[in-house]
Amino acid sequence: MELNLIHFYPDLMSLYGSYANLSVLSQMLEKMGNAVTITYVEMGDEADIEGADFLFMGAGTEKRQKFALEDFVRHGDEVKKAAERGTPMLFCGTAIELLGKTIFDEQGREYSGIGLGSFTAKQQARRIVEDVYGTTSLYNDAVVGFMNKSSLLTGVETPFLTATALGFGNETKGGAEGFLCKNVIGSHLTGPILAKNPRLLERVIAAIYEKRGENCPAIPKDTWAEQGYAVTARELKNRCGK
Amino acid sequence: MRMFLAILACKLLRFVGKLVGKGSSLPGKYALKICPDILRRVELPPSIIAVTGSNGKTSTVEMIAAILRAGGKRVVYNEEGSNQIEGVTTLVLNNATFSGKVKADVLLIESDERYAVQSFRFFHPTHFVITNLYRDQMTRNGHPESVYDAILPAIHPDTELILNADDPLSSCFARGQEKVQWFGLDKCSISVSEPTGIYHDGAHCPVCGGRMDYAYVHYNHIGAYLCPKCGHGKHRTDFTATAVDLEQGTLTLDDTYTVSLAFRSIYNVYNILAAYAVCCRVGVEGRIAQTVISNYVLKNGRMQTFRLGAHHGTLLTSKHENSIAYDTNLRYIASTRIPCSVLIIVDAVSRKYFTSETSWLWDIDFDQLSADHVQRVILSGQYCNDLAQRFAYSALTEGKWQVIPAIADAAEALKATGSEDLYVVTCFSDRDKLLALTEKEA
Repeated sequence: MELNLIHFYPDLMSLYGSYANLSVLSQMLEKMGNAVTITYVEMGDEADIEGADFLFMGAGTEKRQKFALEDFVRHGDEVKKAAERGTPMLFCGTAIELLGKTIFDEQGREYSGIGLGSFTAKQQARRIVEDVYGTTSLYNDAVVGFMNKSSLLTGVETPFLTATALGFGNETKGGAEGFLCKNVIGSHLTGPILAKNPRLLERVIAAIYEKRGENCPAIPKDTWAEQGYAVTARELKNRCGK
Repeated sequence: MRMFLAILACKLLRFVGKLVGKGSSLPGKYALKICPDILRRVELPPSIIAVTGSNGKTSTVEMIAAILRAGGKRVVYNEEGSNQIEGVTTLVLNNATFSGKVKADVLLIESDERYAVQSFRFFHPTHFVITNLYRDQMTRNGHPESVYDAILPAIHPDTELILNADDPLSSCFARGQEKVQWFGLDKCSISVSEPTGIYHDGAHCPVCGGRMDYAYVHYNHIGAYLCPKCGHGKHRTDFTATAVDLEQGTLTLDDTYTVSLAFRSIYNVYNILAAYAVCCRVGVEGRIAQTVISNYVLKNGRMQTFRLGAHHGTLLTSKHENSIAYDTNLRYIASTRIPCSVLIIVDAVSRKYFTSETSWLWDIDFDQLSADHVQRVILSGQYCNDLAQRFAYSALTEGKWQVIPAIADAAEALKATGSEDLYVVTCFSDRDKLLALTEKEA
């Protein structure tokens, strides 16, 4: 297949090696015989969202998130339509908040999100900076990663993680985290979560095939990713409950 | 009376602590319990220099102390790097008379970025050097802009800021501040036209978010930037590196003082420049700085040499979780052009706290090791798989790098073959695990 991936604001929203999510995804898709094009959408650029097979935005500082939001609302309706059609998407770190209804910054100023989800993000002075070990309804293995957020989310009905044995949920310690809606995944887990979680990468690839109406062939294993996941999962599991 | 007791307790605890090899923050902690505002009550020296920033604090402070002392100043500073309020308190009280007078001309403080506001609650620096603000230890710091927000309230209106004109983010501290001195590096032999590195934190203006233009770049996003939208740009410099030649190992300050570099790294250039600037501001002559800094070898142990089998080895301490520290050391290796091997160890991400966070590996520009003279790269430590996964996406061909999980096995493998130079790139948390297996150089 010829697959089109969109990366929104690659410089502006680029904290914690966010870009690596697209590196591992595109390389795996190519390994599976697909021709992959990544389109970088900057502020002011047009975007062919209807023709995209995957949308991605990474983490940015709270200030840069507002610059991104100011531009991203132009694409809001198209993104919502794409979500409805089942287009897979990943919005990491502060990018998840753009999908919701409202963002309140630390000073209480209100910003409108694109309203794909009906949740509200409230940013606070205290940062929550923690390793994460959680469970998801998408598959059986634990999800590992790291969060670095200043926001609490209220009003999420369908979270990405159903519980967080390590880390902080949308509203509470140990609680449910992120946002899941059809094939859209939003999470405050930052950085290369597709690189760190081979099962999640497989899930995204399966969704891309499903959306195209194609059968997903066997997905090759990346030995380093599998072994790296095993070490991190073991280390984090040992920390649970401590 | 409380002040006297606090000073007494601090001095006693420090004395006992030194005997048993304990750290330097505990005495200050107790002194603060006895007299919480002790730092307001003591009589501080006429010059108080603070240094903060993501990179180069310790090295810059060490050089400032050396220059000031050569200039005849009595300097008190936290050589052990205890850079939070407790450590600062220990430092101040330990050097004070029982009546509370600090016996020095200059109090020099390396200050933790996040805790500067606490350290400077009861007094403020006369000179505040901010070296730079980069992605650094995000597991505790959040991100560079949250560090900026943490430092900002620590800046007193009367303090003279000494800022890096080439760094778009830390330059913002000048906004609304009256007394500012700028240091920076002119366009020179190492300058390039575009930002380098894996990510580009200078792509957008930190003030308005607009796309920034660069006239030239020294490394990563450090250089001559200008935001066409709001005008935020590199400020004219008061203290300037007017020429740099890293191949010859020379640096010229203000067209007047040429310094020989003991370590030919762009980092060293900026640290020297910052030290020179602040020393000039407290009345030391530039030629004294020149004499002291020429061929100055840092004593903080971040660069060490050793032997491993037939290899001449150099440890380049690179803070984990700090991609620019790694990038700079990798650039140094790439610049040597002498056949070498490189050992990269990520075993414990931090020595101070637990984390399995390795996303920072994706921010490091490992492509720099694709240079021909780099013969092999060995990846080792508990997180060697994460390193390998990252290397699989680098410009290095697969045969050039290999994974040897146990550090001892990696050392053995190196010892067994070759006599090329060896560079070890790792953090404080992991370096001793390798150094313990090496021999001191004769």
